[in-house]
Amino acid sequence: MEAARAARQIWAITWFNVRMLLASEFFVLITFIAPLIFATLGFFLFRSGGGTAGQTLLYVALGAGMMGVWSTTLFGCGGAIAWQRWEGTLELLVCAPTRYDLILVGQTFGAVVFGFYGIVATLAWGVVLFGMPIEATFPLVLPLSLLAAIVSLGALGMLIATSFVLYRHANALGNLLEYPIWLVTGMLVPLATLPFWVRPISWVLAPTWGMEAIRGATIGAAPPLLAIAMCFVLAVVYYVAARYMLVFVLDKARRDATLSLQ
Amino acid sequence: MREGSTDHAIAAIDLVRTYRTHTGVIRRKPLEVEAVRGVSFHVEPGELFGLLGPNGAGKTTTIKMLITLLLPTSGTARVMGHDVIKETEAVRRRIGYVFGGDRGLYDRVSAMDNLRYFAELYGVEPSEQRKRIEALLEMVGLTGREKEKVEGYSRGMRQRLHIARGLLHDPQVVFMDEPSIGLDPIGARELRQTVQSLVDAGKTVLLTTHYMFEADALCDRIAVINGGRIVAHGTGEDLKRAVANRTIVEIETFGVTTEAVERVRGDRDVIALNMEERDQSQILLVQSEQGSAITQRLLGLLGDTRVGKVVAREPTLEDAYVHLIATTSESDAAARAAALQA
Repeated sequence: MEAARAARQIWAITWFNVRMLLASEFFVLITFIAPLIFATLGFFLFRSGGGTAGQTLLYVALGAGMMGVWSTTLFGCGGAIAWQRWEGTLELLVCAPTRYDLILVGQTFGAVVFGFYGIVATLAWGVVLFGMPIEATFPLVLPLSLLAAIVSLGALGMLIATSFVLYRHANALGNLLEYPIWLVTGMLVPLATLPFWVRPISWVLAPTWGMEAIRGATIGAAPPLLAIAMCFVLAVVYYVAARYMLVFVLDKARRDATLSLQ
Repeated sequence: MREGSTDHAIAAIDLVRTYRTHTGVIRRKPLEVEAVRGVSFHVEPGELFGLLGPNGAGKTTTIKMLITLLLPTSGTARVMGHDVIKETEAVRRRIGYVFGGDRGLYDRVSAMDNLRYFAELYGVEPSEQRKRIEALLEMVGLTGREKEKVEGYSRGMRQRLHIARGLLHDPQVVFMDEPSIGLDPIGARELRQTVQSLVDAGKTVLLTTHYMFEADALCDRIAVINGGRIVAHGTGEDLKRAVANRTIVEIETFGVTTEAVERVRGDRDVIALNMEERDQSQILLVQSEQGSAITQRLLGLLGDTRVGKVVAREPTLEDAYVHLIATTSESDAAARAAALQA
């Protein structure tokens, strides 16, 4: 009964957040338009290098789409807290009888699901303008890869949002996290081209495995089972960390009176 | 009953709240601000209790401790028998929180979307939601406007939506923090009717306001808070009794100088003086125990000041409030000065 109620609440919060994001010009831009620009740049850069293989175009399009997903996750989760603080609704959510971690789950998944539209948009863009073939080497694994990526990015978003509850200027830090994550998780360039010391950082970041899971299912030589498993493992780690941190964060916010600060 | 008895709807026991902040940007100096300094009161079930005080008196801080948004620095409080520090979830299920101002709603979606969303968060069963939202929209007079985006709502409509939101889960205790702030007179009157209907429906209401007539018209009992302390409490009549033997002389002036005001304030029979700015004039409200006998002397003290209407009248709750705030502010200032000298 409680689980059913929690699931219904998460669904309602997720859907409400998707609608709120749709009503924001900023999020429409970073989710719908920005990935198309990234993909176009990628396609032209790739062509100037003499490459025309369909699989490489797909590699570029998926990377560009994931860049959009990450931007929406980052600003949708972190920015949502700052924006709710600004709107004066954060206090109402915190003093609602619903556990705040459930509210955060709904909000972050709303942002991630909304962001995944970027992948659809870039693929369509590549097909229409660049004649990119749509093919998946493991079509049955692809839905699982997408689910794994969504779950792991949502959990990471929740971890980010948790810290943003406490610090009202944390969204400024969020801006710094956009480009480095694009780089170290293999969205922009293959991980193999990065220095070896970057790898451990990549391994603990969900977008790395989410990207690998999706690319593996579409253009990989073998099913990306490790990447999918890592997505779920990291999602559990992020969620547990976020829940523990949330108890501390909410207690500190009640002590320091930071919930209503703009 | 004891202050902390579980029979009270609300019981605040020696609540203290200190904020830590700092001054300066480069050379930061820590600063402690005592917003609430030992507040105790109780509210009976079904009672409408008013917390009356000027801006910065500690009203909102007190409410936020009671609704579990702030931890007290010391002291404790219970709402419907549940500790606000340790039993937050039990408290949150039983309370509604309504505040004044433009914030606290999702502007980019409709009123209906706002209410549905909060109904989910407040755990209202899906089968109940529609009926409940329709009844509340009817109660606050927003039926027919519920599909419009909130960003197009007037200040009064927003406030009514706030009230509907705060009542979605049928709370036993409703906390209303300056709900009439910024409302026009008709909106404020409608709000008072709504608040009264909540009490008629058996809810316990804690209302904060700095409008005396609002507290006088609505509240069963009033606590006056100033400088983080409760300086008086009782019914409106009890508070008025503090100034019952006084007369208020209202003098309408045009362009009165500070020196002239201070000359009047310094008169041996003047107990308190308050000045209200109007469009073109200033109204001096002079409290004394001499009836209208000192009127001529007061006019003489005003010198060349152009004077309009002069009226002597019985004191109201507002006069009692001004007296309380003025006397407690003076004693607080004296205590602070003594502490600084020490």
